[in-house]
Amino acid sequence: MLRLIVQRVLALVPLLFLVSVLTFSFTSLLPGDPADLIVGQQGTPEQYALVRHRLGLDQPLVERYAHWVEHAARGDLGTSFFNSVKVSDAVMQRLPVTASLTAVAALIAIAVGLAAGIAAALRPGSAVDRIATLGATFGQAIPNFWFGLLLAAIFAVGLRWFPATGFTPISTSVGGWLASVALPAIALGFASSAAIARQVRSAMVGVLQQDYIRAARAQGLSSRRVIFRHALKNALVPVVAVLSFQITVLLGGALIVEQVFAINGLGTLAITAVRQQDIPMIQGIVLVMVAIVVVVQLATDLLYGFLNPKARPS
Amino acid sequence: MTETAASAPKTVARRPARRRRASAARLIVYPALGVLALLVFFAVFADWITPYDPLKQSLMEALQGPSMHHWLGTDDLGRDVLSRLIVGCRIAIIAAAEATSIAILLGVPLGLFVGYRGGWWDWSVMRLVEAIMSIPGIMVAIVIIAILGPGLHRAMIALGILFSTSFLRLARGVVLSEREEVYVRSARVVGTGDARILIRHIFPNVAPPLIVQATLTVGAVLLAEAGLSFIGIGVQPPNASWGTMLNTAASYMQLDWFLAIPPGVALVLTVLSINLLGDVLRDRIGRGIAVPAARPKAPKRPPKTAPAAGAPGRRPSPVPAPDAVLDVAGLDVVVTAGAGDEVPVLSDLGFSVRKGETLGLVGESGSGKTITGLAILRLIGTTGRITRGRITLNGRDISDLSERQMREVRGKEIAVVFQDPTTSLNPAFTVGEQIAEILRTRAGLSRRAAMARAVELIGRVGIPNPAERARAYPHELSGGMAQRIAIARALSCNPSVLIADEPTTALDVTVQQEILDLFRDLQEEFGMAIIFVTHDLAVAADICDRIAVMYAGEIVEEAPVDTLFSAPRHPYTAGLLAASPHGATRNPPLPTIPGTVPRPGAWPEGCRFAPRCPHAAPACDAAIPLGDGGHRVRCIRADTLDLRRSA
Repeated sequence: MLRLIVQRVLALVPLLFLVSVLTFSFTSLLPGDPADLIVGQQGTPEQYALVRHRLGLDQPLVERYAHWVEHAARGDLGTSFFNSVKVSDAVMQRLPVTASLTAVAALIAIAVGLAAGIAAALRPGSAVDRIATLGATFGQAIPNFWFGLLLAAIFAVGLRWFPATGFTPISTSVGGWLASVALPAIALGFASSAAIARQVRSAMVGVLQQDYIRAARAQGLSSRRVIFRHALKNALVPVVAVLSFQITVLLGGALIVEQVFAINGLGTLAITAVRQQDIPMIQGIVLVMVAIVVVVQLATDLLYGFLNPKARPS
Repeated sequence: MTETAASAPKTVARRPARRRRASAARLIVYPALGVLALLVFFAVFADWITPYDPLKQSLMEALQGPSMHHWLGTDDLGRDVLSRLIVGCRIAIIAAAEATSIAILLGVPLGLFVGYRGGWWDWSVMRLVEAIMSIPGIMVAIVIIAILGPGLHRAMIALGILFSTSFLRLARGVVLSEREEVYVRSARVVGTGDARILIRHIFPNVAPPLIVQATLTVGAVLLAEAGLSFIGIGVQPPNASWGTMLNTAASYMQLDWFLAIPPGVALVLTVLSINLLGDVLRDRIGRGIAVPAARPKAPKRPPKTAPAAGAPGRRPSPVPAPDAVLDVAGLDVVVTAGAGDEVPVLSDLGFSVRKGETLGLVGESGSGKTITGLAILRLIGTTGRITRGRITLNGRDISDLSERQMREVRGKEIAVVFQDPTTSLNPAFTVGEQIAEILRTRAGLSRRAAMARAVELIGRVGIPNPAERARAYPHELSGGMAQRIAIARALSCNPSVLIADEPTTALDVTVQQEILDLFRDLQEEFGMAIIFVTHDLAVAADICDRIAVMYAGEIVEEAPVDTLFSAPRHPYTAGLLAASPHGATRNPPLPTIPGTVPRPGAWPEGCRFAPRCPHAAPACDAAIPLGDGGHRVRCIRADTLDLRRSA
């Protein structure tokens, strides 16, 4: 197990490197010059040169990258071009917001997806199956932000069960956190639950036709045991791959859903940074997101190995 | 599956499942096409049909609900929502077309190229694709838009680049699988240029999955475009797109929630239609998972009636033999075929086995041997059911038991060993766990005791190092070893009947004999009765005490093994014996029985073997009962034929 983790972590290093090169060179292609924006139109050429020098923009690209990596490795992602906020501070301040929204949405998606997928697979063609399939089809066609708007209109504006906007940190109040994150998480998780339900259904239908399921029944094991132990463990193998992908999708979706509920997460930070061409900030956000995705992938890899003995290194 | 013995039910005429599925597909396709046609119509004729100028502001009329003048109301600047919605159709189509075309034009050639070229090109491009895919898609789009600047066309370039990765991977995958195909290699040998091979030979294989992928991409692009416009970096105000309209709606949610409805519904309907078409296309192109036909409504448990004594070819079921462990009498089983009709698969099946005895069920494929074993355990799924007959186990009629009571019987009183040990053991659990689980849940052993007993059983079936082997997963064992495990599992609760369904067929010949010896040993020790299903007469001769020969869902002859082999009385048995290489000592090639076993539903009225029988006579057209006594035979001419083999 430990060896697998070490192996996987080592394999991630080149990926992180590549992503950092990508974002660095991409962001360097940004049109215009941040120094222009900072100095403003009244600035003198001297001021302009000074700002460029302070931001390191007068250095060659490769040197700038080396400089950035050197600091990033020490956890210093640089300073915003526009205020003297450290990128790592800004990102770390927003990260818990986006991460908790994504995590709750993922939990909802997994729970709903598993339940609907299994229920549909047990009786292919039945009413339950048709409703679940229909729900899954709709789920994948409804944009998360529109669903969020509807939920907000009904449950926050209309019924006043939940706050319409804002985010309460879990450290302030657990109940308040749950109330503030509930609607956005449902809006965000719905489409993923549909994708997971589809995958669970098709995997489960296939597994239930296997000989070992019939053999388990022939030994007199209860249906519940056969379905939730013998069938599900096998059916989850292909689901795990979808799950890993869906969490990446959720993380991206969170950026947009945050806007609906006026939640100050990474999404707002990213959009502002893009508008201001705040290169260090964009780099920092992308890097943190990739880091999250990578951790999720590692976790799902380990889960995959647990579910599928054939995939374990011998 | 609670229905049991009853007179044959009337089969209600049902619409064939295939037609039902086809009409369901049509039910999806036509409305979806209708929605898209409407979309295109609006997009093309937007300038003529919009009731107002979509950009004309009228602050006096801001935020009005639907009315005669403004069917869908007005927005915050008093602009007509319907007009903006119609113009949004045009934006949606332009967006989808732009981004999808860019994705295809960028992804497919690159994928074809790196897949065909391989090596360094392939490696580096794929690492790049992996890196991009590890960033959430919307973030990739945001970064690209940061470089290009906001706006519809720039945003669509961003989405095109983003979605090109999936086309790249698709095209590359097809090339990798086609590249080594014989026709491509031979084209290369005759000197066809690479470009020509790619375009003429490989590209056509990319087309079908490409169409499906393109459809799915269009849906995803529409959602992504709306998302980007919604957060203000896609289509820029004052231009109308569904996403920007939703952006406005979000700001005025408290004042006028209706603003969010028209663009949202338009977006959902469009994406839904495209996704549904994509699903249908995918099923057509054959990558979809077939949906099993709907479960037919089982007739309500019909009143249990005594077997019709007057039924042709059927004798009143005799009282079970007093020393029989398992006695089956007059068993009829039907299964629901694809079209929804019930087809008989077993009829008038009757036999009994005593303690310590091995009964062989022998016959060609399709004769109903396996379904017999499953029917006794009532494991014929949701499509099969017993319509008549009695199954007596240890003096108790089990054909009537509820599913719950039946579960108690399975494993404890009757256990099964299946044909292929590599598929009948669960790949996700160690073999020790799989045996211990039965002992824990069925015999009530503690976790520790169950594992100890499992190890003991594994040792008992002749596996060395049982404690270590118990921790192995099925894929780590050889076929013979896995079958020993399956036997140990079947015997874990000491059943009185063991059904062995072709347990040696999937095994290596050298292993077969060892497994047969194991069955003999275990029977001596545990004393269970064995029903041994096989198509191999030599195996049956080796292990069985009595043999019942099955043909087309019924027993045609049953006799002690020696009698059956030396003096068969049914022409089918004689044919099987003659066709068996172990029985034949003659030089001329093996005689075979011409023809094949008729499929269920296509059984002849009278003797089911008559069409293939060399001795068939007019009298064979009537149904024939199975005889009585120690040597039973279902042949009208049994007394007059001499089928003994010339030794």
